[in-house]
Amino acid sequence: MSRYAKRLDRDLVRWREAGWINTDGEAAIRRDVAAHASKLELASILGVLGAVLIGFGAMSFVAAHWSEMPRLFRLALIFGALFTSYGIAGVMFERKHPYFAHAAVLAGVAIFGAGIMLIAQMYHIDGHPPGAVRTWALGALAAGVVLRSNPALGLAMLLIALWSGWETTLSNEVHWSFVLGWGAVTAAIAWQRWSGGLHLAALTLAVWIISLGYVLFNGDAHGVVVAIGLLVMAAGISIPIVEPKLEEFSTPAIGYGMAIAFAGLFALQFWQDTPLDRLILLAVVAIALVLGVIWLGLKMGSRGLLWLGYAGFSLEVLALYFKTVGTLLGSSLFFLSAGALVILLSFLAYRLHARVQPNAEVAS
Amino acid sequence: MTLAGRNLWIAVAAVALGQAAVLGWMIWDRSSLLANGREVVLEVIPVDPRSLFRGDYVILGYDISRVELPAGAPRPKRNAPYYVTLKKGEGTLWTVAGAGAEHPRSVAADEVVLKGKVDYVSDAADRADARSVVGVNYGIESFFVPEGTGRDLERMVGDKKISAIIAVGEDGTAAIKGLLSEGQRVYDEPLI
Repeated sequence: MSRYAKRLDRDLVRWREAGWINTDGEAAIRRDVAAHASKLELASILGVLGAVLIGFGAMSFVAAHWSEMPRLFRLALIFGALFTSYGIAGVMFERKHPYFAHAAVLAGVAIFGAGIMLIAQMYHIDGHPPGAVRTWALGALAAGVVLRSNPALGLAMLLIALWSGWETTLSNEVHWSFVLGWGAVTAAIAWQRWSGGLHLAALTLAVWIISLGYVLFNGDAHGVVVAIGLLVMAAGISIPIVEPKLEEFSTPAIGYGMAIAFAGLFALQFWQDTPLDRLILLAVVAIALVLGVIWLGLKMGSRGLLWLGYAGFSLEVLALYFKTVGTLLGSSLFFLSAGALVILLSFLAYRLHARVQPNAEVAS
Repeated sequence: MTLAGRNLWIAVAAVALGQAAVLGWMIWDRSSLLANGREVVLEVIPVDPRSLFRGDYVILGYDISRVELPAGAPRPKRNAPYYVTLKKGEGTLWTVAGAGAEHPRSVAADEVVLKGKVDYVSDAADRADARSVVGVNYGIESFFVPEGTGRDLERMVGDKKISAIIAVGEDGTAAIKGLLSEGQRVYDEPLI
């Protein structure tokens, strides 16, 4: 039983005893909850994990570089495993076991990647490793779109991130092609209406935007990152006012925008050699940002934003501590000011808590 | 949205055959390069000659991995394509006859153009002859030693000099076709 169901179970009893709902109403609510419960079963999770294991197995098989087997046989094995995986996926889709089917699709995509590696190794192809990852990502995307498989799309997104990260590391320049790959996979995820995938896409994009700060303008573009983050936040705040239909995107946009802006501010403060006056100014901005997000989280009843704000606050305070302690503020002064801030925060939370209590429970 | 019936199997076949076709294309591309590419023999500069074939894969260095930047030529960018023209010298080995960021317009019958990628450009100031050197990767720098054959290869090679037979395609793509030890073939890359 999920947390929501457990809580509802307690509440229903309470509501019935209070006379707000009758026994029929309670039974109807229970039936509705049971019908709409997420069917995330152990079997399906094990199936996906099994597929991941098969993927790793195929890759270690390549790494082992078996010489006892003739090359042709090794190739036949890879092709055979590829067709078998997709064959199993087809059978499982037909028998209405979608979770097993998706696990088989995932295994097929993993074997496709192992095949690329095997062939590159067999023929001493040493051209450009990220290119091989890109080919793999495109294969995963194709499987995800054609077979409507969310796990394959998730893998495609991770591979796009790996490809882009690798290219950026090699060239130390902004990898603009990422936008194309990311856009294609995100479009497929949106078409599938897969909300978890959209979060994965947002996270990948956020990491890419943050990485811009380290590679654009000779690695001094963190200000741009902060600006982008603040813009995303502003968009998130204005969504409910401008277009109420898109309200569900408001909270995530604020959260990701805050994370981007915070990461940029963090780099400005602690990655670079910052003079003290500038550091203090930036620290004030960063703390204002996290307090703002905490306030928004309370106001909108979003536990996610609250936690993000708390995490940002802790990170900021901890980093400031390591940067300043013993050198300028002295540890006691530091703890005093940080303590005063936290108390201020708790006072703020206390004042607002009573107001958001009912909303907070619904949103979580 | 889920697939069902005939559409399901069409989709499954499309994905499986599509991915198999990509793998098949990789194999075809490489084996046709090995079969049809022009052969060039290059001397290998081993990084550690004693244990060259002992590991899982070795890094092969070549004379042509460092090419002098022609006088007056602009500094090429990192990771940009770089074309190196080879000419058959005395004996079997090939030597550099020209280099540049563009594919040369005319290539003599006894010359072969290799397409590489700029790895680094070293400064002219560091060298007595005041010429910059371009480090070029051709994609023939890694050699995966087939498991179990490392020792045999090592025994055959001994202290002798190794050279590599490189197949070069029309567009300048290079592939390792085999290894020579003092003119004797010690390893042949099978086509499939």
